[in-house]
Amino acid sequence: MPPDAPDRPAEAPAEWHIASILVHLRPERSPDVRAAIAALGDVEVHTEERGRMVVTVEGPHEGRIADRMTAIHLMNGVMSAVMVFHHAEPVAAQSAEEVGPTRR
Amino acid sequence: MLDRRDFIKAQAVAAAATAGGISLPAVAQPSMVAGEDAQLTWSKAPCRFCGTGCSVMVATKDNRVVATHGDMQAEVNRGLNCVKGYFLSKIMYGQDRLTQPLLRMRDGKYHKDGEFRPVSWDEAFDEMARQWKRVLKEKGPDAVGMFGSGQWTIWEGYAASKLMRAGFRTNNLDPNARHCMASAAVAFIRTFGMDEPMGCYDDFEHADAFVLWGSNMAEMHPILWTRITDRRLAHNHVKVAVLSTFEHRSFELADVPMIFEPGTDLAILNYIANHIIQTGRVDKAFIEKHCSFRLGQKDIGYGLRPESVLEVRAANAKDPTDSKPMSFDEFAAFVSEYTLEKVAELSKVPKERLLALAEMYADPKIKVMSLWTMGFNQHVRGVWVNHMVYNIHLLTGKISEPGNSPFSLTGQPSACGTAREVGTFAHRLPADMQVTNPTHRSHVEEGWKIPKGLLPGKIGYHAVLQDRMLKDGKLNAYWIMVNNNLQAAPNSDQETYPGYRNPENFIVVSDAYPTVTAAAADLILPAAMWVEKEGAYGNAERRTHFWHQLVNAPGEARSDLWQLMEFSKRFTTDEVWPKEILDANPDFRGKNLFDVLFRNGNVDRFPVSELDPAYENRESKEFGFYVQKGLFEEYAAFGRGHGHDLAPFDTYHEVRGLRWPVVEGKETKWRYREGLDPYVPKGEGVRFYGNPDGKANLFAFPYEPPAESPDKDFDLWLVTGRVLEHWHSGSMTMRVPELYKAMPMALVYMHPDDAQARGLRRGSEVKVMSRRGEMRTRVETRGRNRPPRGVVFVPWFDSARLINKCTLDATDPISKQTDFKKCAVKIVAV
Repeated sequence: MPPDAPDRPAEAPAEWHIASILVHLRPERSPDVRAAIAALGDVEVHTEERGRMVVTVEGPHEGRIADRMTAIHLMNGVMSAVMVFHHAEPVAAQSAEEVGPTRR
Repeated sequence: MLDRRDFIKAQAVAAAATAGGISLPAVAQPSMVAGEDAQLTWSKAPCRFCGTGCSVMVATKDNRVVATHGDMQAEVNRGLNCVKGYFLSKIMYGQDRLTQPLLRMRDGKYHKDGEFRPVSWDEAFDEMARQWKRVLKEKGPDAVGMFGSGQWTIWEGYAASKLMRAGFRTNNLDPNARHCMASAAVAFIRTFGMDEPMGCYDDFEHADAFVLWGSNMAEMHPILWTRITDRRLAHNHVKVAVLSTFEHRSFELADVPMIFEPGTDLAILNYIANHIIQTGRVDKAFIEKHCSFRLGQKDIGYGLRPESVLEVRAANAKDPTDSKPMSFDEFAAFVSEYTLEKVAELSKVPKERLLALAEMYADPKIKVMSLWTMGFNQHVRGVWVNHMVYNIHLLTGKISEPGNSPFSLTGQPSACGTAREVGTFAHRLPADMQVTNPTHRSHVEEGWKIPKGLLPGKIGYHAVLQDRMLKDGKLNAYWIMVNNNLQAAPNSDQETYPGYRNPENFIVVSDAYPTVTAAAADLILPAAMWVEKEGAYGNAERRTHFWHQLVNAPGEARSDLWQLMEFSKRFTTDEVWPKEILDANPDFRGKNLFDVLFRNGNVDRFPVSELDPAYENRESKEFGFYVQKGLFEEYAAFGRGHGHDLAPFDTYHEVRGLRWPVVEGKETKWRYREGLDPYVPKGEGVRFYGNPDGKANLFAFPYEPPAESPDKDFDLWLVTGRVLEHWHSGSMTMRVPELYKAMPMALVYMHPDDAQARGLRRGSEVKVMSRRGEMRTRVETRGRNRPPRGVVFVPWFDSARLINKCTLDATDPISKQTDFKKCAVKIVAV
């Protein structure tokens, strides 16, 4: 029995998801990897050092995050792409309100 | 000030940079959670997927898991999460979650050919007990059995072992870990006299060379793979060798990539031993002091049914475990025929690569870590290959010290902790004790406070034998817990399904979801999963780790522990124990099995007042004592002082796991070496204390071919395995929409030339056919897995496309583990 994997219901409230992904890559393949990542459209490269790259993905649901993470993991030149941080919230919550650096 | 999104993004980047050890100026150590997430209740739990044992932080709100993230405080994963771990919060919330017992019924009562109808737990257990009692009365304990799992928590496996062995007096108990690492476990015991690796994950940061022997860590152990990747990228001298029968994602990091002909890893390992000896790199002092050499039995058959021609033809199928002492010189002569030329020809690996690989082991300056999983273990000579890798580490003394580490990885979260340490195999008792050893049985009888002579000494049916006995009508009352064996077992249409539907048999499946196995059962019991109960797992590096119950299971779903204990209440000793035992122990007459097994003064020793008030614990509240603590402490007593020391129960709720033996509050990272392992006496240097003489055994074995090889009718090798997105049979991950969409079906991966030669192309619809069955799917020629010509790869996660209809039920004759990596198929267009 194939499991049911419905698309996200249309009435689902709009959400904003962000995740950071740690990517391990062959340093000499960095230009190719960066080009491939840029082609994904919604992934931002923040920093890279000795074959380690930090990227963030933003999107409307977790599926987008997982999709990008898997896509990067499987890119030529990439050894692995693993999740570090993920946050989601209703789109309404991200109005231009400014927040201070409060910590838990 | 930043706006809110920028702030959260900065936190995300900082967290990843910290986890990756990348310097980010002017960023403080971030909180892992932001905004509203900070208001949630966060608790630690180990991931319930693979054997890596990552710790995750789990957020709950209104009795629901709403988020998870990698645990920054965990040594194993240091805040990282793979894609499966990322979706842990969703595995419990599939739409078809089982929430009440379902019994096949017709005309208001149980009927083998009836339709599933909801029943109460009382009705379910009444029918189940009636069937158990019928079978016990008609046929005795040999006709009752259970198939458990390396996903059981420690106390669930332990309770199952007590119920089956002491309650029903049968050793017909086996875990699905039999399919997964029985070969590794058996070779550990035969080599070192003790199970499980001597090293740990810290070896990743010390080794100069990594060799993957039949393991695709990039997809199956992604978090550990990042540690190897880190080591490789940060140190130019570090090299990685990857051996496989097809090219996969781990080849991306390979300095020495090697595709070998299926089964020839045996010859490659003997070549390496020969190379070490021929080039004078044997550590003579080490082998003199710490090693014994033995000549193993050859021509041992393939673990098929005894009437199979391959078994009849094999000279030593009846006594595959035999061996006799030999000298080092005799060992050297034995492996001398495995020359570079001969092995290169047999394995089809280029000579220079074999030599580069051999030098990783032979060069005394290189610290080498060997890693393996199913490629080694699911092998008709799985015990042999495990022995052979120890051979090359022992010959060079490259063992039991940081970076020099033969390391058997596991596939399930508690394959080590539950299946092996607790002893849920048909031949094992807790703490490496064996059912055939009368002293061991007597020791367990004392610990369990049960009559002398009660425990059966006959080895029970192992996984594949259980299926055969069900089909043959010799095993009739059967309980399957936490696994999906109809999808996982080999040759399933011929050897597994018929047993489940055999009219003589009553099959019970406890699961969280309606798997193909549950659908073939007579009674389905809804199970609580993961953080719906208090739990403990033991990972591949001997790390025991705990979690609390964080949410309640839906509907009537109950933990396996509750099910096992509650079911025991339906029996009295008079019904299940022989008269002689009761005559000799009149105090035990007429006792309820629950009282004998679980209210024995040990298990019920800790009152519910010891529960952490911050957490729910359904089982303990219902039974009236701290069930998990009582079971754990009774179990742990078997190992303490014997090299398996576990810390006190409460400690594990505080820490991110500890690696046993835990002696005087300190965990042990490397065993068998003085200064690192408290069990090695001063002045000995190294002692393999699992064996009475303190020595490890090297075994000489030849290369022997697989059970079935391609021929003109079935002209391709079939290799099965897993993929990144799905875990095992997919019963959890296929229900997470995001993972399902990422990898919705099992494809057949093949070489483009093999496809073209059959008039096929990428996407063509085909049948994969063997002598046993067939499966329909589509061709993939450009995917992440790239087999050489003559080999195809099919993953087994897809319940709509059961590749195990094609596989062969050949097992390693010693470990009884199936070879899922080598059988013959053909591919035809539909």
